[in-house]
Amino acid sequence: MAAKKAGPASVKLAAVLDLNEASNLHGKLVSMRGSDIVIDASGVERVGVQCAQVLVAGVKAWEDDKKSFLVEKASDAFQKTMQLIGINHENLVAKEI
Amino acid sequence: MDMNEIKEIFFQECEEQLAELESGLLKLNDGDRDPETVNAVFRAVHSIKGGAGAFGLDDLVSFAHVFETTLDCVRSNKLEPTQDVLKVMLKSADVLADLVSASRDGSGVDESRSRGLVKELEALAHGEMPSSSAHEAPKPAAKAAPAPKAAPAPAPAAKAETPKPTDDSGFQPIPFSFDGFGEDEEPAIEGSVYEVSFKPRRELYSKGNEAALLLRDLSRLGEMSINCDTDALPALDKMDPEASYFSWKISIRTTKSEDDIRAVFEFAEWDCDLEVKLAEEASSNEELPMVPVPFDLSILDDSSASDEDEKAVQSSADETVAAAVSAAETATSVTKAASRASEKKESAAAAAAAAAQNNAAAAAAAAGQTIRVDLDRVDRLINLVGELVINQAMLSQSVIENDATGTSAVNMGLEELQQLTREIQDSVMAIRAQPVKPVFQRMSRIVREVADMVGKSIRLVTEGENTEVDKTVIDKLAEPLTHMIRNAVDHGIETPEKREAAGKNPEGTIKLTAKHRSGRILIELQDDGAGINRERVRQKAVDNDIIAADANLSDDEIDNLIFMAGFSTADKISDISGRGVGMDVVKRSIQALGGRISISSRPGHGSTFTMSLPLTLAVLDGMVVTVAGQTLVVPLTAIVETLQPEASAIHSFGANQRLISIRNSFCPLVDVGRVLNYRSTQANPVEGVALLVESEGGGQRALMVDAIQGQRQVVIKSLEANYTHVPGIAAATILGDGRVALILDVDAVVAASRGQSMKPEMSLAATG
Amino acid sequence: MKKKVLTVDDSRTIRNMLLVTLNNAGFETIQAEDGVEGLEVLEGCNPDVIVTDINMPRLDGFGFIEGVRRNEKYRAVPILVLTTESDAEKKNRARQAGATGWIVKPFDPAKLIDAIERVTA
Repeated sequence: MAAKKAGPASVKLAAVLDLNEASNLHGKLVSMRGSDIVIDASGVERVGVQCAQVLVAGVKAWEDDKKSFLVEKASDAFQKTMQLIGINHENLVAKEI
Repeated sequence: MDMNEIKEIFFQECEEQLAELESGLLKLNDGDRDPETVNAVFRAVHSIKGGAGAFGLDDLVSFAHVFETTLDCVRSNKLEPTQDVLKVMLKSADVLADLVSASRDGSGVDESRSRGLVKELEALAHGEMPSSSAHEAPKPAAKAAPAPKAAPAPAPAAKAETPKPTDDSGFQPIPFSFDGFGEDEEPAIEGSVYEVSFKPRRELYSKGNEAALLLRDLSRLGEMSINCDTDALPALDKMDPEASYFSWKISIRTTKSEDDIRAVFEFAEWDCDLEVKLAEEASSNEELPMVPVPFDLSILDDSSASDEDEKAVQSSADETVAAAVSAAETATSVTKAASRASEKKESAAAAAAAAAQNNAAAAAAAAGQTIRVDLDRVDRLINLVGELVINQAMLSQSVIENDATGTSAVNMGLEELQQLTREIQDSVMAIRAQPVKPVFQRMSRIVREVADMVGKSIRLVTEGENTEVDKTVIDKLAEPLTHMIRNAVDHGIETPEKREAAGKNPEGTIKLTAKHRSGRILIELQDDGAGINRERVRQKAVDNDIIAADANLSDDEIDNLIFMAGFSTADKISDISGRGVGMDVVKRSIQALGGRISISSRPGHGSTFTMSLPLTLAVLDGMVVTVAGQTLVVPLTAIVETLQPEASAIHSFGANQRLISIRNSFCPLVDVGRVLNYRSTQANPVEGVALLVESEGGGQRALMVDAIQGQRQVVIKSLEANYTHVPGIAAATILGDGRVALILDVDAVVAASRGQSMKPEMSLAATG
Repeated sequence: MKKKVLTVDDSRTIRNMLLVTLNNAGFETIQAEDGVEGLEVLEGCNPDVIVTDINMPRLDGFGFIEGVRRNEKYRAVPILVLTTESDAEKKNRARQAGATGWIVKPFDPAKLIDAIERVTA
């Protein structure tokens, strides 16, 4: 695709990452495989475990693809919920190796 | 709104639920087996219980609870609602009503009665048949009645199992309040360390629970560290985004008990694997990399967020949505997601269609939409419309006086105004119109109670309960009706033995009917008892100096003697109807409503009381007449026709009676002016007008008046409220020219004219 | 942002209690009188949590919960059921229908708010 060289693709997370959003987010990530990705978590107010599962699976997939997966500008709610459910910041970063 | 207001709403609602309950039970009693009827009955009791619980009305709650449990057996087909069962239920409904009143105004309750019923209800719920010993009276029915509806006695209709007080799933409701602080038995200040293993299943999420929130609540119990096991998570393209893969090992130091920890998972415990145990000295978990969870998670309670935060969050949320939309638009390989989405849409559409169908059916079943309006407001509106009617009449009058031809545009406009005023009035009156049902329902309780008291078996059949009449009429209907019902049960219907001896069904029937007839409501109370004992009534009337010993009275006239003052046929004063209140009081209260009452009786077959009442106490269509220089209004509903008597049609009869011949039949002539003592000598009929009226009891009379002024709708102003009751006069009104006119009580005038042969007691002067 | 609560109950008494309790606790409250109306109101009110009675005319609590769970947009909304302790069987049915949790009657404002806090973020 033409966008490939134009730097990492970016995804802005929805405010409410609930059960309904898990499928959306999953679909979005699956469609963006193969390119570096930046996840903008600045607007997140609520995180459900199912979206966290999708994000962690995404990190693993990007690692396998050897592409970078970066969560940035994480909101307070995002950070704290991840901490609460025991997901480290490191779990959410895949670096180009 | 404060709690007292809500409590008032609760009691209002109780009244509605009680009515619902009773009508449902009566329907079941008539053999209705619609599950929705049973449901409605159950809901009524359940709803009373729910509200009562909230207000701590414990007596009400505990009785409602027992009642509800038994009803639930009926609902789940464990208990057949036979007539014996329903008898207990109807009595329970009565007790429930008493308990509601007791809670409302602190009145006393017959505790032994409610205790007895609790036992009966519990017995029913336990599958025991109601004891028939309490209902000895109707027992012979089994022999005489061709097909008693009650189930054959030996057949245990109830196949109820003992309702289980606890749930068989083993579920124990655990109160989840956090107010257990301080009751911890753990002496250690630092508390103990628990290890919690938590693995949610997919259902946990699909039911709206959220593992993150459960972990949040858990973290509030103490100092917690957590390890998230992500090993079960499949690859991104293999995963189901809505499945559950993560599980957790948690170590928490808390002063709370294991139960407190489990209570956090109260809503979720079926949908997860949960282990909670005290940590052993050498915990195996220590090998796991545990992440400490900070206690400060206030961000997760957005209720504590400040207004500024809210705004920020809101605007960023908007951005997010915009971003998400554009992302979706530009996404290239969204086919999978799209097809998924459309699938969902289809199923959602199907569900919506089904729901819509449900809706339509339900809407058809449900009564029309209603709003509740404070009665004061309606009354005020009705009063204002009454004033409007008077005002409009006055305006018309003055226009007519200035425009004799009646052709001006003003006149035309006035006619329209009159029409509109009329319509407004009808519509406004319709607001206050209500079905007589609640009053009829109260009667069925009275029949039950009185019949029980006197050992009779009586069935009340009602018809036309949905007939509507103005609320003011309804409110005043209950008292006379109650009295008549008591009378019918106590005196009208014979004892089962006597009935059997007479070859009748030992179970008596009282029929209460309401219907509309020519702008009035007709209420009939019919019993299949012994009828009026005319010998005794006549004798009593002679004894009490009501009639002369040699008076020659028709059967009809004898029957109607029971409405005379100071008359009571009961040989002994009974507890039920002989409270010193006779049928004369009933008649007076009916008359005060602008109504009429009469009786017809067939010896051995029963009596029928017929009451005819105006639909409203606010307005009346009347004929304005002149009598001896006075203006009177005669209710139009009473007038059959008007005629100009010719001298040849008038016949004298006896000393001062006159008859008028109308189409080959004779009809007594009544000089209104004479009856009301407006004049001392009879007027010449040929100079006046005769109004042929139908009085209750069927007979026709010709009322003589001097002249007819016209027909008009008048607003009724009570004389009693403003002055005092005047015999022969029903009420007063204000005419278009501002004058006050009296409204004639036709029946009273007719009765008074008849009474001339009995006792001349009707006169304005006499009561003045 | 105020949390939005949709309540579904046919009893006027309970509706008023819910309204007063929830408003006092700072919630925005939307009310429906039975399951059918509840599903109608749901569209477009986007509640954070739903509180529903079980015994209602037209469409009872079980049917209502199933209806919400079938709704693509609102299926994830937490639903609390108003129930009584003796209704263990009903509680199970409500759970199977997709209820998130329950509030044991008699109605107690503290318990209601507590339960709502538990199932909402």
